[in-house]
Amino acid sequence: MYKIYIEILCTHRRYIPKLLLMMKLITVVLLASLMQVSAASFGQLVTLKEKNVTLEKVFKEIRRQSGYDVLLSTNKIKTSTTLNVDFNNSTIEEVMSKIVSGGDLHYAIEDKTILITLKEKSVFDKMLSYFANVKVTGKVRDKNGVVLPGVSVREKGVANAVSTSGNGDFTISVKEGATLVFSYIGYKTLEIEVGTKTTINVTLEEDAAQLKEVNVVSTGYQDLNKKLFTGAATSLKASDVKRDGITDVSRMLEGRVAGVSVQNVSGTFGAAPKIRVRGATSISGDNKPLWVVDGIILEDVVNISNEQLSTGDPSTLVGSSVAGLNPDDIESFNILKDAAATAQYGARAMNGVVIITTKKGRNTDGKPVFSYTGNFSSYMKPSYSNFDILNSADQMNVYLEMQNKGWLNHSSSSRSANGGVFTKMYNQMYIYDPVTGTYALRNDAQSQKQFLQRYADSNTDWFDILFKQSFMQEHSLSVSSGTQKSKFYASTSYLQDNGWTVGDNVKRFTGNVRGNFDISDKLSLELITQGSIRDQRAPGTLGRNGNPVYGTYDRDFDINPFSYALNTSRTLTAYDANGNREFFTQNYAPFNILNELENNTLELNLIDFKVQGGLKYKITKDLKYAFDGAYRYAKTSQEHKITENSNMAQAYRAGISPNDATIRGNNKFLYRNPDDPNALPVSVLPYGGFYKTNDDNIVNYYVRNSLEYDKTFNEDHLVNFFATQEMRYIDRQNKVFDGYGYQYDKGGVPFIDPNIVKSNVESGFNYYSMGYRYERYLNYSLRAAYSYKGKYSINATGRYDGSNLLGESPTARWLPTWNVSGAWNIDTEKFMQGERVKKIVNRATLRATYGLVASMGSATNSSLVLQSMGTRRPYLGEKETKLYISGLENSELTFEKLNELNVGLDLGLFNEKLTLTVDAYKRNSFDLIGAFRNGGIGGEAVKFANYADMKSDGIEASLGAKVLKATDFNWSTQLIFGFNKNKITNLKNQPSIFGLIGADGGPLEGYAQRGLFSLDFQGLDPKNGSPRFINDKGEVSGDVYLQSDVVKYLKYEGPIDPKYTGGFSNTFKYKDFTLSALVTFAAGNKVRLSPSFKTSYTDLDAMPKAFLSRWEMQGDELKTNVPSILDVLEAQAFGSNYAYNNYNYSTERVADGGFVRMKQIILSYNIPAKYTKKLGLTNSSISAVGNNLFLIYSDKKLNGQDPEFFGSGGVALPIPRQFTLSLKVGF
Amino acid sequence: MEKAPDQRTQLNSVEKVAELLTSAYPESNYIPFIETSSDNVEDKGPGIGNESRTITQPYYWLDNDDNNSDTPTAYWNSSYEAIAAANAALEAINTHNFGNAALPYKGEALLARAYAHFMLVNLFSKVYDPATSNDSPGIPYMTDPEKVVVGQYSRGTVASVYASIEKDLLEGLPLIKNSSYRVQKYHFTVAAANAFAARFYLFKKNYEKVIEYASAVSPGNSFATILRPWNTRYNTYTLDEMYVYFTQASEPSTLLLIETASSWARTRTPRYGYGQVINNEVFTTNVTGARWCYKSAYYGQPHYSMLKWNEYFVKTSPNATIGFPYTIVPVLTADETLLNRAEAYAALGQNALALADLNTYCSTRILNYSPTTHAVTLAKIAAFYGTTDPKAGLIATVLDFKKKEFTQEGLRWFDILRYKLPVEHKIFAVNGSFKTITLSAEDPRKLFQLPSQVTLSGVAQNPR
Repeated sequence: MYKIYIEILCTHRRYIPKLLLMMKLITVVLLASLMQVSAASFGQLVTLKEKNVTLEKVFKEIRRQSGYDVLLSTNKIKTSTTLNVDFNNSTIEEVMSKIVSGGDLHYAIEDKTILITLKEKSVFDKMLSYFANVKVTGKVRDKNGVVLPGVSVREKGVANAVSTSGNGDFTISVKEGATLVFSYIGYKTLEIEVGTKTTINVTLEEDAAQLKEVNVVSTGYQDLNKKLFTGAATSLKASDVKRDGITDVSRMLEGRVAGVSVQNVSGTFGAAPKIRVRGATSISGDNKPLWVVDGIILEDVVNISNEQLSTGDPSTLVGSSVAGLNPDDIESFNILKDAAATAQYGARAMNGVVIITTKKGRNTDGKPVFSYTGNFSSYMKPSYSNFDILNSADQMNVYLEMQNKGWLNHSSSSRSANGGVFTKMYNQMYIYDPVTGTYALRNDAQSQKQFLQRYADSNTDWFDILFKQSFMQEHSLSVSSGTQKSKFYASTSYLQDNGWTVGDNVKRFTGNVRGNFDISDKLSLELITQGSIRDQRAPGTLGRNGNPVYGTYDRDFDINPFSYALNTSRTLTAYDANGNREFFTQNYAPFNILNELENNTLELNLIDFKVQGGLKYKITKDLKYAFDGAYRYAKTSQEHKITENSNMAQAYRAGISPNDATIRGNNKFLYRNPDDPNALPVSVLPYGGFYKTNDDNIVNYYVRNSLEYDKTFNEDHLVNFFATQEMRYIDRQNKVFDGYGYQYDKGGVPFIDPNIVKSNVESGFNYYSMGYRYERYLNYSLRAAYSYKGKYSINATGRYDGSNLLGESPTARWLPTWNVSGAWNIDTEKFMQGERVKKIVNRATLRATYGLVASMGSATNSSLVLQSMGTRRPYLGEKETKLYISGLENSELTFEKLNELNVGLDLGLFNEKLTLTVDAYKRNSFDLIGAFRNGGIGGEAVKFANYADMKSDGIEASLGAKVLKATDFNWSTQLIFGFNKNKITNLKNQPSIFGLIGADGGPLEGYAQRGLFSLDFQGLDPKNGSPRFINDKGEVSGDVYLQSDVVKYLKYEGPIDPKYTGGFSNTFKYKDFTLSALVTFAAGNKVRLSPSFKTSYTDLDAMPKAFLSRWEMQGDELKTNVPSILDVLEAQAFGSNYAYNNYNYSTERVADGGFVRMKQIILSYNIPAKYTKKLGLTNSSISAVGNNLFLIYSDKKLNGQDPEFFGSGGVALPIPRQFTLSLKVGF
Repeated sequence: MEKAPDQRTQLNSVEKVAELLTSAYPESNYIPFIETSSDNVEDKGPGIGNESRTITQPYYWLDNDDNNSDTPTAYWNSSYEAIAAANAALEAINTHNFGNAALPYKGEALLARAYAHFMLVNLFSKVYDPATSNDSPGIPYMTDPEKVVVGQYSRGTVASVYASIEKDLLEGLPLIKNSSYRVQKYHFTVAAANAFAARFYLFKKNYEKVIEYASAVSPGNSFATILRPWNTRYNTYTLDEMYVYFTQASEPSTLLLIETASSWARTRTPRYGYGQVINNEVFTTNVTGARWCYKSAYYGQPHYSMLKWNEYFVKTSPNATIGFPYTIVPVLTADETLLNRAEAYAALGQNALALADLNTYCSTRILNYSPTTHAVTLAKIAAFYGTTDPKAGLIATVLDFKKKEFTQEGLRWFDILRYKLPVEHKIFAVNGSFKTITLSAEDPRKLFQLPSQVTLSGVAQNPR
């Protein structure tokens, strides 16, 4: 984008004479020539005949004989020049003609003086001399072979310059021996001696240092002259921020844009990071920025809420549409931050806008220019040395102590729902071999010790078993080809990741074709087709349930390898002594993690296809009409396959065959027929497993018409008007189907027990469901921009938005938004023109804006919302379907709004050696949707209404410096810093304690948008070492009712989103080597430590090393805050007191979220042209990249826990440490 | 742009109106707080049983400040939710031209609206007393859907609320048609509507009307066939069967069932509840000279239960262990209606008819019932209740029967309100000593407290 629009350089300068004296002489000459005719009438005669006479003597003789003085005003001939003269009574004219003949001299006679001067050239003479010069032609290309139009080609030291044409061609006449200077914005200036050449083709190299000098800003709607742009925005060139080996383009923004925070809550492919532009703006609605790709808003297939992002649910893998973009197709990013920049997005702009521009075809004279990128990455296995988990020997000692306390004994452990080594030991004592007449294990102390010894020594490395040093390859091939009127860009890429864990892998294909056609000088056309396909496998997972009763988050049958490795005892073994897979017990059924990862899988398929067209028509020179339209169609499907051999399927029949009355009575997966109160529980899944699907589809149309008027009046007044009308249409579909009894191993035939349907209907669950969501948007906007001499710019935007999302009410759906802004280019002022000032401050712009932007809230009830559900009655015959009011009509419903004031300063110092951009802003969010507790008389005691307010302010700065610039060595550095804090100033919700203490925090008036709260820990109970807190009644107790809405006794820890974010990058270049390093940092937030305390433990649980310093006897409460392990009787007395679970949410289990991370180091080598040429390549480079290398700083309390990662299980994995070898070739 | 953002439905057909009216019943349970406020509970002693807030606070007649299920606030909120559904249905019937097909549903909507307001006015306002002007604050009578975030309302007076209820009741009742319902017992059938009317006029002390409407519940006066068969069928049930069948729709005695979000069915071992003392009272010899043949069991003494409640547990997901407990509550029964008629007969001095109803009742509750030995007579009443006034004696009999019949069903509270009875609660200390707290006849705490947020709507809370 940058390359196409440049300033037109001034090539017709006038020659300004240097010396005043010479000007006077010319005046004299001018007068003389006017007198010439009259002079001829004097008739003095001269006679002189002599050989080899000097001019000086001739002049003296003329003066003596005729009385005329001769003045020589040129050094073209010297007075010492000799000549042969033969004058006999010749006139002065004859004599002078003879003297000046053969040279460029001219004489004039005035009074008694003859002036000899250089002859003024005639036009014809000039032309002749022109052709006498050297004519040079050539073509200018970039390193990819793409022709560069508009390159300035200048003869060095002379006022002689041309620009290259649309084909990159130039023709220039220069003096022999001249030097040509090629210069172009964004490229290094090149000087070439002409010598004898008449054709000079050059290749210009890009110059990263000049990147900032972009004078066009893309707002997604228009490419605006920078002089007219007054907002806060950051432009990034993809090649500068590209992170080889990182597949998700959204992560490229990490640490690169001031005020944009990117939190990697999950590192699994497809899971979007949590991105905030200037922090959160809404309490209940979206806080995600809007993504715009090539001018079209990119809709997410599934709308993932803030909280959902960190749940690890499978839908998070399809939530980010950006994951379908090939990073190599991206040309640039532009992040619009303040209200002036985002104004054109009106009621969608509250959370900032990220604009992605993909690559276009360029004029290569029809020659195809290929570019290939190959990335080969490996993820490093996690290691126990980074985590705080007991080894098997220590763990066994804890188990033995638990055994002394009455746990893990024979009666409770054998036939327990979940059990490890001890359960296995006791169960073996029942296995009787009728042949030998013995039991598998003798019931004596010696045998038991022997049995346990193997496991105490095992020290199983689950990370080693479940993780791989994976290999990921990524190939991307693109071709660009074009002529002046038709340009093509096409690319395809393939990504294959064998998976970091044994349970996941992914393949992605992308394809992209883009054509640009200039049909005539007035009409141009653009066509884009983009598509991607993804095949991904992940460990099978069910949705996560928050359990406010116990204060836990539950996920049934969770087999997330990372969670498993961290939470499973190292005394368990994956293989038995004979090398076969060893099974322990979960849900009364045999369980082995490797078996489960094979038999319980999630397969995800995604097809995403977009066609886009654009038309531009120049109505007049200044008035342009543009049409853009796009159609996108994406289908995603998740297939959750749970075979009959999985633990999950077998849990549904545990206790039935073989019949075991105890298990049968306790197994929650068995079915009790409510119509038959005396019947025994039965299995509803006697054969087979499950086949569950979940499909999300989207159909999206987009149409836009716009009219732009752009004109400069009298060189001083720049005016731009832009009017647009836009329509968006989005249909989303979700389909869920749960299949029962599918027999994977028996030809794929389902066996359906009717009871499974009956039990689901009785419990109010559907075995399938399907639903649509519809979004319709229509808006009109007008932008007017004016700049005076590039010194002062003002900008005003108004937009009128309509949406169906608020409901059917025709009044609520429309909202006008507006914005005014201005910029003052201080450096253009007179007082900044001094040489000294210019040396220090070469560029300075002050910007300010105030305006209103908005966002769609979460409420949709501008009209009555009726939903359907089944009645909650126990018996089939009494059930009926009912409609209920899920939202009363709210005639006052409107959009969520935000007023923003932004002041910014852009500085270029020491001739751009130091660049600084600082922005400060204040934002008032109002009319936010919040839960509103009311008197309930209308029939909805908690309404979602526009009443909540939030304030936020912040500062962001980016500082760039070219620290060192020598011929072979360059060092540049960039520091990015953002600060944002927010506070809810009005919110009358009534959150429960549980809603505030979880890792995601919660909203509460007077605190941050999402604040983390803790139970106030009050030391351990001296009686039994159990933890105590200030509970919901204000008493010191372990017993806290987590569903209570009395939250005043909680302690506020801090926001869950960081207040400070930023990055620090350094690039060193030595000849063809480049080394760059990126450090990212965040601070000011709190994180909840992973929960690891319970009232009672099983022999499956892994414990952190903190357990070694736990309370063991009275008096320990003075030394430690780690609670005891209760004995059986004590634990029973706790009943519904979940003090130990509560401890996980106490002030003791909070750490500072601040960190400094060595995000990336790249070492790359640009293979010099002399080598690449031999291979027929135009350029090539090779890089070694390390990503997510290590944490330079994080709170010690985290003990290896990643401060950004929520260990929520499911499909979530932390971001891995990763090494990549990247190869780039152009040909 | 006119497209709704989701698949919400429009109220544009009679069928949808009918389905919406399934939401027009308060899905909240009044039993936990009114039963525990009444004299049908006891303190089992410190350390015995659970002391959950929803049970403890009403025992001490304290205002409950949260809106969890089983609290007065929850009942308030869900009653108005039911009213909003009824009003939305009525608005749809008025705006669309559905014709006669909609009339039975108009009747149901009016009755549902009247019922919810009736329960609210009796729980949150002073009891109706024809001897006074009934001008103390009522509760907002909602006849139109709320369309703003916070509407402004007036409580009116008890008299005005009763007048509105009566208007809706009388307008709706003739429109009711049993055949318009799919699952009749969960809707206002003709019998249920008449039973409600009987209860309404009993509270209003308009006894002729009580007799008229109560009699309409069982045309042909065949109450004996629809009362709870305690001495026959129930007597043969296992414990599991008992608590499955008591709240099933197939029971002839139940006239209106409502599914309520309530943990009442699992409130089996509260400290303040149905204990040894009350259980002894229930099973002691009564005025008939025999004992009631109720079925009582215990979850470990002294936690007694009549096995009336079967929890329906709505899990949060198919494999979850957590979810929302539901309790099905028969809010109108033939048994209550018969006793209401008996009370009306007694109040009008029609003693023979009163006795006849009482004996119909007893015939289903005494094992091997024999009219000759077990029949209730005025003489027996005079001897048993120590009063020679037949009217007072008969009413004492009715109240006594109701107290025991509706143990753990809460209806005792309304008799306490109507007859302005004081309530005494004992509070035991660890050493077995106790103190007594009293709710006097005209105690302001007999009115449950409105949620504090009603002040936003210009509505005042009850004085304390």
